[in-house]
Amino acid sequence: MTALPTLAVKDGVKRPAASSGHGRLAVAYLAPGMLGFLIFIVLPLVASLVISMFDWPLFGTPKFVGLDNYIRMLTGDPVFWTVLGNTLFFAVCYTVFNLVAALGVAVWLHSLGSWGPFFRVLFFIPVVTPMVANALVWRLMLTDDGVINSFLATLGIHGPSWLSDSGLAMGSLIAMSVWQGIGYNIIVLGAGLNAISPNLLEAARIDGAGAWQRFFRVVLPMLSPSLFFCTVMTIIGSFKVFTQPYLLTLGGPGDSTNTIVLYLYRNGFSFDKLGYASALAWALFVIVMLITALQFSQQKRLVNYDN
Amino acid sequence: MSNNRVTGKLLTAAAVAALAAGALTACGSSSTGSSSGESKEASSMYTWITNENDRAQWQAFVDAAKKKDPAFNLTLEGPSFNDYWTKVKTRLSSSGAPCIITTQAARAQELKDLTVPLDDMVKSNNMDVSMYNKAMIDGLTVDGSLRGIPYDAEPVVLYYNKDLLAAAGVQEPTTNYTTSKFAADLKALTKDGVMGLAVPPGFGSGPGLPMAFANGNEPVKDGKLDLTNQGLVKDQQFAFDLVAKEKLGNAPQASDGTDVPEQQFMSGKAAMIIDGPWMYDTLTTKTQGKVGIAVIPSTSGESVGMIQGSAFAIGASCKDKEAAFKNIMKITTPEVIGAVGAARGTVPSVESAVKDWAGTKPAADVAVVQALLKSGRPLVTTPSWNQVETNFTQYSGEGFRGTKTAQELLSTIMNSAK
Repeated sequence: MTALPTLAVKDGVKRPAASSGHGRLAVAYLAPGMLGFLIFIVLPLVASLVISMFDWPLFGTPKFVGLDNYIRMLTGDPVFWTVLGNTLFFAVCYTVFNLVAALGVAVWLHSLGSWGPFFRVLFFIPVVTPMVANALVWRLMLTDDGVINSFLATLGIHGPSWLSDSGLAMGSLIAMSVWQGIGYNIIVLGAGLNAISPNLLEAARIDGAGAWQRFFRVVLPMLSPSLFFCTVMTIIGSFKVFTQPYLLTLGGPGDSTNTIVLYLYRNGFSFDKLGYASALAWALFVIVMLITALQFSQQKRLVNYDN
Repeated sequence: MSNNRVTGKLLTAAAVAALAAGALTACGSSSTGSSSGESKEASSMYTWITNENDRAQWQAFVDAAKKKDPAFNLTLEGPSFNDYWTKVKTRLSSSGAPCIITTQAARAQELKDLTVPLDDMVKSNNMDVSMYNKAMIDGLTVDGSLRGIPYDAEPVVLYYNKDLLAAAGVQEPTTNYTTSKFAADLKALTKDGVMGLAVPPGFGSGPGLPMAFANGNEPVKDGKLDLTNQGLVKDQQFAFDLVAKEKLGNAPQASDGTDVPEQQFMSGKAAMIIDGPWMYDTLTTKTQGKVGIAVIPSTSGESVGMIQGSAFAIGASCKDKEAAFKNIMKITTPEVIGAVGAARGTVPSVESAVKDWAGTKPAADVAVVQALLKSGRPLVTTPSWNQVETNFTQYSGEGFRGTKTAQELLSTIMNSAK
């Protein structure tokens, strides 16, 4: 049996010395993951970029069209701008409602003491329930003669067509989506609240800070890393909204609930326009990248890290 | 031995085991090796299986074919009808795809790159295609070549609830029905929580397109979309107005399948519905009250039938086309088609088998279908028809609510589906 590799000592901590044997072992361990990343992430990404420059029906001969798909998307397709507007509207409303509600509920649950975890589980159930099941249940509730309108009828109110009225359909999707997704942010913000030292709040109280002052001057700044994480993830998720409009409204009425991913899916798999669908996918990728980059550029200004 | 060598050997062994497992799996799913000598794919069919009713229908073809060839079998796979037209394209491009697929006259153009011309095989196997419904053969002919062997030829009909009509004092319609009488009847029927007409959001599923067809207006002319021809626009607007202005039906939601209006009809909440004869057994046996059928109303009362039949085709990726065609021949004989028509209610594509379908059905109902078969024309479409259907379903809510006109909607759809 050979001796173990020499241990290097740095900062008083023993670390295994780098050796070619360990390097190979590391590569072997990493290889499956890297291979998966290359095959399932990098390769499709590059492939979609290439396909976006073709007029490519699923069956039939692909034809190179250069940037035509992008030009058509930006200048010749009014539906693209509609779905982009819908997606932005959804993203802004969903993110704001989700974060505000999640923060309020997380603070409330934090104050409940031993009952907090019980309610936290209740709020988290929709997150782990399949989106399709949730959407179908909501569809049944929101139909013209569904549970919601039946309840309103008992109050003497004639309920509207939640999914057929173009003025209400998007709002219905946002409400359903907030209900579905709020639990995740409640858990993250709850963990952030738990990490705030009670000494800080106690010190603020001794200094004469009221409840609102303690919330805005102590809790929110200390919670800002969690809030930042939730904001980034919620915005990214909201741009990818698909299941809700696909199952509840099919993008209708008109194009009022049509989103980029739904439009992309239809172009690719229903209308046989793989090239155009790939161009839409890249447009979505660029938009999400830009927004995420903007958020990270403001991170130092907006987020308060303890250290 | 070093730890590294042990790890290396373990990794190598794991890789070999994984490869071996992969190879075995691959062998297990090999496309050859069926006991009959034909490939497994040649006796596999990709089709719509929305529910047990669909599965039972396909099984009826197998059972009927087995009477002549006990060794015959057909394995089935596929999604629901609504998902079928999207998924069939990706399924046929994957390895081990079934050779036989179901198609429709209305989708023959759209699926032309997925299916192979059958003319040579028809000739070499001495198959007599003249026995099949001419409208279906015309509809299944793409660029001069036949793309499928039809098993049914189903003219869309108008179902009505006899009890509700009697209660409203409305005379039962028959083989001659004008749109003005239809509108008047719907008005008389819409009361006490009952709507005159149950309305789906789709285009082909009506009511606009079947009524346009009844008047001789078609959505395709010379192989190109012609959605804005004034006849079609007028008929579609008539259908929108029945709901938006006259309030004779509930405006559908885009996500409603055809099952939603069918449920309205079956539960007695709607007195009439336009649907295919394939729903005959379901609608006549499960509806509250007795059900009859009539022709689709037209301006003159004389109705051109919109024939919405289906067929069996062979996928372009099939390696054993001849064997697949021989299997199709076994399930499209007049005997098999007649037996399925008798057992499952599909209107046979072979005229001589229509008597099997007629069975013990009321003579008035049989007369309606036969009249529509006689006058019928196939719903011929274009390769972008799925886009037309999808967009119409998405946009039709605005038409049925009166916020957009038929002209606006059909123009938008035609421009996007060019």
